[in-house]
Amino acid sequence: MICPRRIAGCLLGASLVAGCSGIKTYPDTLEKNLHITTEAASGSAFSRMRVALHIHQVDANCRTEYQGTVQLNEPSVQIGVPSDRLSYLVFSFSSATFLGGSGSSISYETLLWPRAGHAYDARASYADSIYHVEIRETDPRRSAGREIERRSLDDCRR
Amino acid sequence: MTMPLIKTLAAATVLLCGCVTQHPQNAEDFRKAVPGAFMARVETFEVNRSVREIGATFRARAPECLNMRVTTTSQMPGSYQVIVSVYKPTVVVTDGRAELHLQRHHEKGVLAVTKEPDGGYYLLVADAFPVDAKRSRIEIFGPSKGYDVLTQAIMGWATGKNLGCPDLAKIG
Repeated sequence: MICPRRIAGCLLGASLVAGCSGIKTYPDTLEKNLHITTEAASGSAFSRMRVALHIHQVDANCRTEYQGTVQLNEPSVQIGVPSDRLSYLVFSFSSATFLGGSGSSISYETLLWPRAGHAYDARASYADSIYHVEIRETDPRRSAGREIERRSLDDCRR
Repeated sequence: MTMPLIKTLAAATVLLCGCVTQHPQNAEDFRKAVPGAFMARVETFEVNRSVREIGATFRARAPECLNMRVTTTSQMPGSYQVIVSVYKPTVVVTDGRAELHLQRHHEKGVLAVTKEPDGGYYLLVADAFPVDAKRSRIEIFGPSKGYDVLTQAIMGWATGKNLGCPDLAKIG
């Protein structure tokens, strides 16, 4: 016979796994305009590095609303970010040891206003404890692109 | 008694016994203190860039990469430790020199047992001096162990070859 306490425990565990962490998958339904290349290595056989992109919508008052997360497990990922409106992109680099016990996370945040008809290339890298994120905008009618300067959330309010 | 508490008390005892009675209160004091200090060193190298270029890179990268609040956690049987560190970079560029100072203040998890300067204890100072019009000498004053990633990042900025940010959660 199954103990009611065990059932309650299982239900609690399931609900935690299902969504209480607060992380949700980004509903990637828009036309793909952001191509992300990821290279990440923890530098240790005893730990692993995870890279993720958390996407937030930004309203006219510079308030952010979390839209979802894209796990950057593949070297190349394409997603759609709303054009002609402000988004707040947070690239997070998280490491955890296989043996448990310690972990750390560092993030790179920037505002992005994708222009309609333009393509964006982001390169996120982590190696030897040094991380780098670079975003470039390309106009398909021109060959040369331009690097998008990092803008903090405070810049939105200025 | 938990391990973090034991470590904190041990560190405080060592410090109070007289190994460290005061910490440098400004960048110049820090430069003078490092050469003779335990677990500290001065690194020197030359790069093929002018002081002006290096200063511009320091100005661009230091606020973006070093102006941070970092939370690190460690868990062991019987203990759970959270340390919150706030880093403050300062860049000073003059005609003859480009300087990068980095200070660290622990908001949580570490006791400050000596007088702490505004912005936190000095952790590192990097200076660039002209060798000639196109070459510069870099001197980095800082800890000798556990902070290599910081030195690597500053070397990358000085040479202009790697503009990445150091993962400040991995130092110390």
